[in-house]
Amino acid sequence: MTDLLEITGLTVRFRLRDAVVQAVTNLDLTVRRGELLAVVGESGCGKSVLAHALLGLLPANAGVTGRALITLPPAAGVARTSTDRTFVLPGGGERPGDRTVVLPGGGERPGDRTVVLPGGGERPGDRTFVLPGGGERPGDRTVDLLGCGETTLARQIRGRRIGLIPQSPATALTVVRKGRRLLAETLKQHGRDPRLADQVAAEAGLDPADLERYPFELSGGMAQRLCTALALASDPELLIADEPTSGLDRPLVDHTLDLLRRRCDEGAAVLLITHDLAAAERVADTVAVMYASRIVEHRPAADLFRAPAHPYSQGLLNALPDRDFRAIPGHPPMLTALPPGCAFAARCTRVTDACKVQPAGPVACHHPLTTAEVPA
Amino acid sequence: MADVLIRRPAAPLLLLAIGAALLVPLFFPLDQSAVALGRVALPPSFTHPGGTDDLGRDVLHRSIYGLRVSLLVGVVAALAATVIGGLVGGLAGMLGGWVDRVLMRIVDTIAALPHLLLGIFIVAMLRPSLGAVVLSIGLTHWLSTARIVRSELLSLRTRTFIDAAVAGGASRTRVLTRHLLPHVVPKIALATTLMIPHAVWHETSLSFLGLGLPPHMASLGNMINDGQRSLLTGSWWASLVPGLVIVVVTLAIAALAARWRDRLDPRVRAELNL
Amino acid sequence: MIRVILRRLAFALPVLMATSIGMFLLGAASPMDPARQYAGAAAFTMSEENLHQIRDNWGVDDPLHEQYLRWAGNLLQGDLGWSTSRHQAVGEVIAGRAGWTLLLIGLTLVVVLIGSLVAGTIAAYRRGGLLDRGVRAAAYAVQSMPSFWLALAAIAVFSLGLGWFPAGGLTDVRATSVTFADVAHHLVLPVTVLAISQAPWFLLFVRDSVAESLREDHVLAARARGLAGRTVLFGHALRTALLPFLTLVGTHLPELVGGSVLVETVFSLPGLGAVSVHAALGSDFPLLAAITLITTAVVLTANLFTDLAYTAADPRVRIDG
Repeated sequence: MTDLLEITGLTVRFRLRDAVVQAVTNLDLTVRRGELLAVVGESGCGKSVLAHALLGLLPANAGVTGRALITLPPAAGVARTSTDRTFVLPGGGERPGDRTVVLPGGGERPGDRTVVLPGGGERPGDRTFVLPGGGERPGDRTVDLLGCGETTLARQIRGRRIGLIPQSPATALTVVRKGRRLLAETLKQHGRDPRLADQVAAEAGLDPADLERYPFELSGGMAQRLCTALALASDPELLIADEPTSGLDRPLVDHTLDLLRRRCDEGAAVLLITHDLAAAERVADTVAVMYASRIVEHRPAADLFRAPAHPYSQGLLNALPDRDFRAIPGHPPMLTALPPGCAFAARCTRVTDACKVQPAGPVACHHPLTTAEVPA
Repeated sequence: MADVLIRRPAAPLLLLAIGAALLVPLFFPLDQSAVALGRVALPPSFTHPGGTDDLGRDVLHRSIYGLRVSLLVGVVAALAATVIGGLVGGLAGMLGGWVDRVLMRIVDTIAALPHLLLGIFIVAMLRPSLGAVVLSIGLTHWLSTARIVRSELLSLRTRTFIDAAVAGGASRTRVLTRHLLPHVVPKIALATTLMIPHAVWHETSLSFLGLGLPPHMASLGNMINDGQRSLLTGSWWASLVPGLVIVVVTLAIAALAARWRDRLDPRVRAELNL
Repeated sequence: MIRVILRRLAFALPVLMATSIGMFLLGAASPMDPARQYAGAAAFTMSEENLHQIRDNWGVDDPLHEQYLRWAGNLLQGDLGWSTSRHQAVGEVIAGRAGWTLLLIGLTLVVVLIGSLVAGTIAAYRRGGLLDRGVRAAAYAVQSMPSFWLALAAIAVFSLGLGWFPAGGLTDVRATSVTFADVAHHLVLPVTVLAISQAPWFLLFVRDSVAESLREDHVLAARARGLAGRTVLFGHALRTALLPFLTLVGTHLPELVGGSVLVETVFSLPGLGAVSVHAALGSDFPLLAAITLITTAVVLTANLFTDLAYTAADPRVRIDG
């Protein structure tokens, strides 16, 4: 799996009249192609701000620092140059299964591999080729989402590379236009046939007949599925799904989650933002738990759900109905008045003096749970 | 929001204008009907900072007198409109039901009429005079106050602290004076203040049309009307100076009122709007 | 659609009736003696007997409600009465002048709407920028300027100073017939002045409304889908931001009428505004009452049309009623 998006040190602050909201603090995350990364946490922990920050949709009073590098394929026209050469691989002649590759001219790059083609040994006519390495592909560019500016975001990123299923579907739809118009418009914008609308709607679990309705005539669940269909219409490499299952009943939740999983299996990436741990457990490869603007635990899903290391993660899991069904006592702190040190200390049973210092690492805790401490 | 234009100087400018309107008549009284044909249409100079008009009268001196009359009419008319609006809105908000519906229907009716035409009609029927002008402004400008008072009362009635006060044994009058008035009065005062520029504008318009104050009287509208005559002979200052006085004073009042409104209700100034 | 029309009519008829009653009562309370006004200068030489004769003919001394019903009945039959200030039938006075006022107001409305939509949208799109701040400062400044003063300033600069446009009237004094080019040349200044004096209110509304809608969820979602800037603006932001604008245009019409009275007076245009000022100076009740009532009826009709437009533009109203 190759890296698609690498976020380092992302920090978002909102300036209010008499306060500063610390929405996201020093967040590091990497999203790989084919990966489903779930960001989980209670509402108001800053996870939705993350989505808007990556797409450059924050209001004017927001201050953003850090980097979010996305890897883009070669811009049109870059791939083929006069020095590019075409080769037929491999096997001693034209056969089914032979592939044609375009190799860039212009010499060696880091990560390039040398291969000898083919045919069972040194023979006359065997030739040596230099193939590009696994990470960087020839002509790949990286773009910093936080610093590239509105024009680049609007023309190259939004929809095309990163799609968004917005958080509140009821208000995210333009009420005076029918679903079909919205969907066809998006398909057309991205060079696809507007007649695919029915197909895309069905993929999102929406009855194509409902496309003839205005958004205010849709139920919450129907609006949610229309928003999902709109995000799929541009077929983005990275889909950010912000609470995509709210307002849906169980079968539709599963349908939507399976849809996201399938996209990852086909090579795209999904950033699932949710407060629904059961949803994350069902489909996520990796889970990042967010609390009070920071990521407190970032681990493979299987590990985290088997043995949570951060007391907050454990608390969240214990609150699930099929576990203890017991909520964490207390409330998360206000993002305008975060305490120094570990923000969870006030609700934590393992708190010591050490917690006055901000913990760091994939498990941001001074006293993480060991595997032995987690009840089976 | 009007204070994007004159934020800082608003208060000093208004103080200067009001101070001049109050003090100048004490030290430099004006003979309203005096003319001085020896110094007709002089451009602005050191002795006549606003120049003189086609009858030789000092433009700045008369403008200050005009401002005095305009402010007086503006304040009295705004108060009259507030009383009418407060009564209508208060009745509608307190009684509710069909009284509310009928009164609000009347408000909507008057809102659909062109104000200036209605004002002209009222003045025409009562003959142009100071009283007729005040009445015509008062009768056409009370609508917003009535709406504000009514909606404030309606929203307050549904709030729990009123119920709590009544349940606690407080009388209706007591609830009204102790709990409702402190909420409503600042908003009414603000609405009245915002109405003063409107009233001044209305009064000057009527005077300009010859339907306001007596033509020999120094009023801003009359002066601009006179200035129209002088304009053709090139003395632009005769209408410019009284006009500038109107602009500066109404802007200053509007800017101060806007700042006041922001303080009363911070939500009005949405953080994201700018 | 029909429900909207019926609802508006159910509002309009009582409005017109209440207005006519109110005006009639005010006219009755007026110290003016209609008989003397009718007689004009002749009243001074006329005997008290003759004046009494006129009063009897007109039923001036009948009970008020009888007088009102007679007057209202005549109005409904199309008899608008006799103008004492112009010594002409009210119907004729209005018929000869209403067209010019409608032309002035209509042209102004077109200029104001186009100008404020374009400038307001651009200001909102680049909010906080130089243009936004400049446009808003100008709007607040103009808002505090009386329109008649603005008109005088325009005359001073563009007709007396630069000599580009005539200072007043509708046609050249030497012209023997009304030509399109001549009228257009004469209307440039009045229309521009009226448009500028009315524009701030529309402009600030559009600017704030669009600025707000650009931060709304559905516009952010449209941007997130990668739609082109133009599609987002026209297809999503403006579509919802300008819906209330339609109704507000209707409610702001009375202000526009007031402004036109002043501008017509300054530019000596032969419209209803100037004639109502003249009528007011002569306390000409029949003419003033007719003009006010007709204007009110026109405003109410315009409100009906904006309501219909709103109904057509917003499916929520169309479908839910």
